[in-house]
Amino acid sequence: MRKHWILMLVAVLFVFGVFGCAQDAAPVDGEGDVLIGIMVPVTGSEAADGIDMENAAKLAVEEINAAGGVLGRMIVTTTGDDECDPSKATAAASKLISEEVVAVVGGYCSGATLPTLSLYGDAGIPFVIAAANATSLIDENPGWAYMINSTGDAQAAKAVEWFKNLGVESIALVDDGSAFSVDLKDQTKSQWGAEGYAVLAEDRVETGTQDFSAVVTRIMAANPDGVYWTAYQGLGALLIKQLRENGYEGVIMVGDGSSAQELIDLAGADAEGVYCTAPPVVDFLPAAQSFIEGYNNSFPREPGAYAGLMYDATYLLVDAIERAGSFDGEAVKAALAATSGFEGITGPVSFTPQNTLNRSNFVILVAKDGRWALAE
Amino acid sequence: MTAWEVFLQQLFNGLLVGSFYGLVAIGYSMVYGIIKLLNFAHADIYMSGAFCGLVLLGFLTPYIGNAWLGIVVSLLISMVAVGLLGVLIQRVAYRPMLKAPRLSILITALAVSMILYNTVMIITQGQYKPFTTGLVHESFYIGALRMTETRLVLLIAALALMLMLHLFITRTMYGKAMRAISLDRDTCQLMGINVYQIVAITFFVGSALAAAAGIMAGVYYGTVHFFMGFLIGLKAFTAAVIGGIGIIPGAMLGGLLLGLLEAFGTQIPFIGSQWRDVFSFVFLILFLIFKPNGLLGRIESERM
Repeated sequence: MRKHWILMLVAVLFVFGVFGCAQDAAPVDGEGDVLIGIMVPVTGSEAADGIDMENAAKLAVEEINAAGGVLGRMIVTTTGDDECDPSKATAAASKLISEEVVAVVGGYCSGATLPTLSLYGDAGIPFVIAAANATSLIDENPGWAYMINSTGDAQAAKAVEWFKNLGVESIALVDDGSAFSVDLKDQTKSQWGAEGYAVLAEDRVETGTQDFSAVVTRIMAANPDGVYWTAYQGLGALLIKQLRENGYEGVIMVGDGSSAQELIDLAGADAEGVYCTAPPVVDFLPAAQSFIEGYNNSFPREPGAYAGLMYDATYLLVDAIERAGSFDGEAVKAALAATSGFEGITGPVSFTPQNTLNRSNFVILVAKDGRWALAE
Repeated sequence: MTAWEVFLQQLFNGLLVGSFYGLVAIGYSMVYGIIKLLNFAHADIYMSGAFCGLVLLGFLTPYIGNAWLGIVVSLLISMVAVGLLGVLIQRVAYRPMLKAPRLSILITALAVSMILYNTVMIITQGQYKPFTTGLVHESFYIGALRMTETRLVLLIAALALMLMLHLFITRTMYGKAMRAISLDRDTCQLMGINVYQIVAITFFVGSALAAAAGIMAGVYYGTVHFFMGFLIGLKAFTAAVIGGIGIIPGAMLGGLLLGLLEAFGTQIPFIGSQWRDVFSFVFLILFLIFKPNGLLGRIESERM
């Protein structure tokens, strides 16, 4: 008798399960709004860039909806906050998946983006990664993610090229232990070594600390011509201040994680003359002027370093959906892969077989009179 | 830099960071001594102090003009304000729990900590904030040691605060009452000491010192952040344990020792400075195993 009950229960659950799935799946092919997920850190230490990116995506969606939406349907966005933390990111991804988004744009911190790749892959959800660019993402990608920012090796090449340009012959590398910064440090180290130059010191600071005296003393003792900070601006500003305060006079360069204006605001006068291997910041892109205008009209802040890429990512996704002619994951994925010379405000987008951008988009900025300016 | 210069530089760095640890550790130790509570919210009091100072500095600087005078005035006001915040927290969150099992009050402390730092996170949107003081760091040399005015003043101020606290504990009636309560709360009550008042004063003094440390850290490092208290809280706790938790000179000694230990530990060749925190916590574990009463702690027999 008991067995029967269990069988009944299983059968009922099964029926409800199938029925439930069928119902939930309906919005994809039916009428109504279409849901797109945004995964960025809107709280936590990297919230500044994350909020800029969220705003940029919303701006793009607003414009697309005003122009008639995608395949005749309006887009609605939902945000998953990854807090730049791998464990929070998996929760954010699960949230987006359970809300049945048709696709996801975002990805700022590589470390936080990494564990979500397989989640989206398993769920069959295409993911356009706007900013995160560690090379480790390439290996972990099950094929559903497309990266529109150049990866770590392209950035390292730019850093090496610029250090050489400045006549620097020895460098120190400092990271914060995050996947992105370690990746950039390793790439720079091997490329710098391949050029026959010396890395005099390699060090790491712990997130959450304010005191860098240990690192600074080590760098001062090694006395390299240049220092390359590969992580984010909050700690980067502290490092710059403490290096300069201790009398370091060499070249300081920071990676794209530190390319926000915030770095200069935090480090103050000490930031003068600091170089940055930066993503295509909209301020310096002729094609992005109308975007900046639209952004400033909609939001009471400046678009940060990644807003342009996020704006492009959103438009690229919508473009792919239109080309696919459906919201089906497989079709959109195929359309993304077939992207050829999509004209974004940050430049043309085409993908390599590894789903990465097929060109380097890095520029060198220099801090001048309290603002970033193009150095080239 | 020669090895001698590195040694001097790290000696000074260690002392300065150690004195920050010490100032925060005192608060842990005082509260533990008097109500046997590990006040986890103390690290966030330190952070609140830094933000309070930042806001005041922004208000006051245009009126005062002189950078150092502005810092001193905002430091004093913040110490009082954050001291009162500590008293408020004690009154609202801890006093109703004093008779409850110790674990309950410990969990309450964790909750207070989360409330404090999440509040600041929401207000600041999780961003780093520049702590603008208007000080310039003109450096000069004492022997082979590179020094700035800011650092020298901060170290002296930290040591002076510790000395003042020591005098307060050993030379005043309130200090005497605190020491008495840490020995036996119930008897003190019978002797007519207003225990609740003394506990409140303890929280006031501990929180004020943490606020001072927070502002000094802001002045020294130049940026503040809602999470800045977390790591220094753990380090200060370590310092309090090393010195003997509940013993105030022990907390100061533990702080300085820990600062020096980190400063020199991180300069060992082939070990990067990312091992700094590992040094501290290995030291904590060793102390907990081999000398759980700390450097200045005495082994007391359990009172029945």
